[in-house]
Amino acid sequence: MDYFLIQSTNGAVIGIIYALIAAGVTLIFSILKIVNFAHGDLYMLGGYTSYYVNSLLGVPPLGALVLSMVTVFAVGIIIERLLLTPLYSDRTERKDEYGIIVTFGLAFFLRNAALNVFGPFALKPPSFLTGLQRFGALVVTNDRIFAGVTGLVLIFGLLYFMKGTIWGQALDAVSQSRDSAAIVGINARRFNSLAYGVGAALAAAAGALIAPIFSLSPDMGVLPNIQSYVIVILGGMGSVSGSIIAGILLGEAQALFTAFMPDPTRALSYSNAFGVFVLMVVLMVRPTGIFGRRHVRME
Amino acid sequence: MRGLPAAVLAALAVLALVFVRGLNDYWIHVAIIAMFYGILTSSWSLLAGYAGLFSLGHMAFASIGAYTSALLIQWYHIPIPLGMVAGIALCCLLGAWIGWVCLRMSGPYLAIFTLAFSEIVRITFSTEDEVTAGMAGLHTVTLFSTQASRLPFFYLAFALLAGSLALIGLIVHSRWGLFLRAIREDEQAAAASGVAVARFRILAFAVASGFAALAGTFYAHYIGILTPSLGSLDLMAVVVVMTVIGGMERIPTAVGGAFAVEFLQEYLRAYGEWRLVIFGLILLLTMRFARNGLITPLWLQLVRFGEPRRVSAGAPTAPREAGQEGSGG
Repeated sequence: MDYFLIQSTNGAVIGIIYALIAAGVTLIFSILKIVNFAHGDLYMLGGYTSYYVNSLLGVPPLGALVLSMVTVFAVGIIIERLLLTPLYSDRTERKDEYGIIVTFGLAFFLRNAALNVFGPFALKPPSFLTGLQRFGALVVTNDRIFAGVTGLVLIFGLLYFMKGTIWGQALDAVSQSRDSAAIVGINARRFNSLAYGVGAALAAAAGALIAPIFSLSPDMGVLPNIQSYVIVILGGMGSVSGSIIAGILLGEAQALFTAFMPDPTRALSYSNAFGVFVLMVVLMVRPTGIFGRRHVRME
Repeated sequence: MRGLPAAVLAALAVLALVFVRGLNDYWIHVAIIAMFYGILTSSWSLLAGYAGLFSLGHMAFASIGAYTSALLIQWYHIPIPLGMVAGIALCCLLGAWIGWVCLRMSGPYLAIFTLAFSEIVRITFSTEDEVTAGMAGLHTVTLFSTQASRLPFFYLAFALLAGSLALIGLIVHSRWGLFLRAIREDEQAAAASGVAVARFRILAFAVASGFAALAGTFYAHYIGILTPSLGSLDLMAVVVVMTVIGGMERIPTAVGGAFAVEFLQEYLRAYGEWRLVIFGLILLLTMRFARNGLITPLWLQLVRFGEPRRVSAGAPTAPREAGQEGSGG
């Protein structure tokens, strides 16, 4: 029973982190209409930025988290301006093909650049809060609590931003119809950049939060990237609240799957395959996802 | 077929076959690996460039084919060619099945689905290490003795590449190739014009997966050791880089991309791991500014040289326009 509690707490924390990554994927998808195959690498970049800001500049971990979000937000906007503008031009043919190859190539580029710049060895940044908490038999490290709580704050911040502010409303308008949004005076180009930047910043926050719990490596983004697709497909392309529910469900499912499989070494490696398998089944049965919004589909 | 390009390619091939005798083992090895990639890029180009099906699971099929062949030979001691054929046949079936499952998926959904498929295959092969030896590597029987020269492997790889190119070329220059292109441009319009969209999407997947398996089995029985990283995302990215840099909409340019990248990779050995960063950058620049690929203009020039007689005989500009139209498509 204790083991069950510990595993489900860990699962919830990982689930929140996944949801944070997936919320970015979904935001970018609903505005730019592309699947960002480089999202896991922005997550990796966020983790490393936070580590180096902390160790080289001596900024405390919380400040490093904020700085890494700001940096990766800027990187996201630069990427969008340099590489993704053909997506809005009428002269570009087969935009989804362009989106897939460019973001897939970007992922390859970022991963190998990280391998050269940061080195192949795993790095472990310092904790946000050292120590651990006991609740009866349940023992949780402060880092996990911090990651979970900060993740939730960011997710609710995003939800508030989307529903409660004029910019969020404008983003929603662009996602529903680019032309109608332009007619009511929304500059769609600016909101494309904003969406990609915010998505990248959320991924960076996830990377910075997870770094003290696991560790940093250039290929740390590969599996979370695929897990975020699982969540986005389950939660429905374009639905931020759907991906939060799906994220926590996936985190729990994986943690409990790992905990209660009879063969522990297999359970650990198959727990990643488990989510991916769910993804394949959902795609076969309902290609728009379970909570999908109908207007947010690929053209 | 167009006259001059075919003649030039044949001449180049003969030249390569003669020239290879003077090369040392190292460069022969590079050439063999380039041809291995050539089979992969040409078949991926058939799938992604012609039919518009962005599968990221191409290397998964190569690794399934390779493991099938290696394990069948280990368990039942069947001859190597039979094992290779078995691997290829299995991948054709599996490819057809994946093609059938993906019928309702378009663009990015298909890419995500095949990415998921390829990760499951890789995770399974590395976890079930009692059977596949996992990341330690499965020892395979090589086709020829590796003690002596690598020349037999070179000739075999050459024959396999030439055979694959002939077959893929036959497909893309037939009506089937037109159907595949029609499906890529507009699936509904193609269906309305009487193209059996479902049948040709499945067919494209089956054929391309078969060729991926051919490359994979050859690799397994050449290198002599097989690890799950044959089906990794990084290798898939290398195939995408090669195909896109060369030009994914034509088979010859896709193969040219494989050769160019593979030889550059050896030539720039001093730069170590930075090479992959450079190739990633080239890929991004190619997509952004020259989406038809870097080898495509050269190839079109070559094709144009092949048609002067027709130009002098009649309409002076017609073939030129046709060539440009092809590049835009």
